Amino acid sequence: MPKPVIEVEKLAKSFGDNAVLKDITEQVNPGQVIVVIGPSGGGKSTFLRCLNLLETPTSGKVAFEGHDLTTMDTKSVNSLREKMGMVFQGFNLFPNMTVLENIKLAPMKVKHADDASATKQAHELLQRVGLDDHADAFPDSLSGGQAQRVAIARALAMNPEVMLFDEPTSALDPEMVGEVLNVMQELAKDGMTMVVVTHEMGFAKSVGDRIWFMADGYIQENSTPEKFFANPETDRAKDFLSKILM
Amino acid sequence: MKKKIGLLLAMLAALVMMVGVFGNPTSAQAADSSLAKIQKKGVLVMGTSPDYPPYEFQATVKGKSAVVGMDVKIGEKVAKDLGVKLKIKSMSFDSLLVALQTGKVDMIISGMNPTPARRKNVDFTHTYYKGGYEIVINKTDKGKYKNKDSFGGGTLGAQTGTTQYNAAKKQTKNTKVKGMTSQSDLILALQSHKLDGVAMEKPSAEAYVSNNKQLAAIPSNFSMSSSATSSAIAFRKGSTSLVNKVNQTVDQIKKENLVKKDYLPAAGKYLKTNTVNTSMGHYWKAFLTGIEYTLIITVCSVFFGFIIGVLLALARLGKGNFLKSLLRWIATAYVEFIRGTPMMVQVMFVYFGLGLFVNLPALTSGIIAISLNSGAYVAEYIRGGINSVDIGQTEAARSLGMSNGETMRFVVLPQALKNIWPSLGNEFITLIKDSSIVSIIGVTELIYQSNIVRSDTYRGVAPIVVIMVLYFILTFTASRILNYFERKMQHA
Repeated sequence: MPKPVIEVEKLAKSFGDNAVLKDITEQVNPGQVIVVIGPSGGGKSTFLRCLNLLETPTSGKVAFEGHDLTTMDTKSVNSLREKMGMVFQGFNLFPNMTVLENIKLAPMKVKHADDASATKQAHELLQRVGLDDHADAFPDSLSGGQAQRVAIARALAMNPEVMLFDEPTSALDPEMVGEVLNVMQELAKDGMTMVVVTHEMGFAKSVGDRIWFMADGYIQENSTPEKFFANPETDRAKDFLSKILM
Repeated sequence: MKKKIGLLLAMLAALVMMVGVFGNPTSAQAADSSLAKIQKKGVLVMGTSPDYPPYEFQATVKGKSAVVGMDVKIGEKVAKDLGVKLKIKSMSFDSLLVALQTGKVDMIISGMNPTPARRKNVDFTHTYYKGGYEIVINKTDKGKYKNKDSFGGGTLGAQTGTTQYNAAKKQTKNTKVKGMTSQSDLILALQSHKLDGVAMEKPSAEAYVSNNKQLAAIPSNFSMSSSATSSAIAFRKGSTSLVNKVNQTVDQIKKENLVKKDYLPAAGKYLKTNTVNTSMGHYWKAFLTGIEYTLIITVCSVFFGFIIGVLLALARLGKGNFLKSLLRWIATAYVEFIRGTPMMVQVMFVYFGLGLFVNLPALTSGIIAISLNSGAYVAEYIRGGINSVDIGQTEAARSLGMSNGETMRFVVLPQALKNIWPSLGNEFITLIKDSSIVSIIGVTELIYQSNIVRSDTYRGVAPIVVIMVLYFILTFTASRILNYFERKMQHA
């Protein structure tokens, strides 16, 4: 049994009186692709954001490679975040920088990479997501699909060990969803550990190793895609699937 | 007689003196040592307001601008008799008493009347000159007006807050009295027939009449006490030994009638050479100095104001522990206070108030005050700019492992700056214009220089037109430069 990359223990998160995450204990093993699905408002995004401490958990433990993030000082959290790339629903590219500069910024400022090697790496990553010809474009001239692929390349530039995807295709026009999912599928094939919050059931079925079905602040089911989609255990999951598979 | 201290300044003086209780606790002891102190220092600093010919005014002496006039002659004689050097410090008349009380100057010779109210705050020597009042009129009206009583139904002008202003109000009937702060403005209003006559001190009236062929002077017939018509030298309260010594000089001046025989004719000479060439081109050097100082003040204030603004904005956005909350509270209070008080008062407070503890030159004080003021406004722009940057930008940067500081510096601030650039540009252009406020503490920027040129040439409008054009050239150039950078920032 390999050592888990991420361990979550009794994680809870409330915003005021609103308990969004109630009691979550799960773990992610190296190379696994976890797909988190569930109804809106079930706490999926909050859960994902707790993994790299963009949200501070109210209680419980989040450990990365055995180190508990919730008890760490800010500096160590910063350096652990490097190892967890994150892709957002709204891309969040830096609009005042070119595509190339977006990718180079963190390696140069955080890892103090020199310009030449950062540029070389950025071009390689852009080739990987099929956008090297857009290196000098500014984000607002890109389509949504292109922007999200650049965002993936930007996250990969820090050589993360885990990639977190927060509904990466939800803001895209339907015809652009495919190009982003393809890039993610390639990443999975290359062995990247991934936690993906998505509504793309096709992706969940074909790429996911495990499905975490999340609702009402709990992970209600943790199973394989085959089992989950063919034979869900809980009523909550059955109800959810009946609604989306109509 | 010149302006009395304004209400604003009186309050500031009171504040400064309250602070002074802690700053200068031993004014009583200083009484006996006042003379010894000056002689030990070897320099006597004379405060004067050089916009009042022939008492004191700015003239070109051997190609350089200098303060001349009968009061300067008296200052030179006083210094000579004390065996020390004379140093002249120019500032607005309103600021003189505060400057004396806060130690910026050692004495005031500026046509100042030893009124009972002033005697409460400073010590006066014997009077060195007794003037009187005349009314300046247009020469074409010469047969029409005889004295103060002939203006029924008309309008008289006088400098606001002066004795002649009060006298004109109280001692005339059916006559409107209009107050203005500057004598040259009054003369201008007279010549454009907005006023029928201007009440002023005799030597000033004579100077105007002899230099402007369209004017004439008539007696005023105001009834005045002698303290309101005579001039004396002011020293800090309690300087008995110094005053007694200087009184010997004053008595000698009076006995030998030096003012009429010697000092006034000497001052008149400068007045004559001065009015030979009153074209604005002749004064290009004065205007150039003005531009130079206006730019120095603006550039320095923009620089420091921006730094202060960024720091204040970050402090106001801080959240979390006690220290950050305290900083946020202080920054908020600072911004509210600065925005809620006039810049003019801030400038005076820095110059006179801080002057009790550190002796700051006027230019430095001006730059400090304007930077502090501008910082408060810039802080609000920057805070708004930072808030306008989407939170997703911060999250993206943090998720890449960047620290809070790196995120602010490399991601948020550049975008905030781009968003607020037009507002910042506005602030910079406003600063070019607002820098004129430091003229009140005697910094030789454009407004100050134009006032000098106006009282020098007796021309009211031309210098105003010149500085209007100059200000416009400065602000227009600045806005072109700012637009250039704005375009550069907006690539896509």
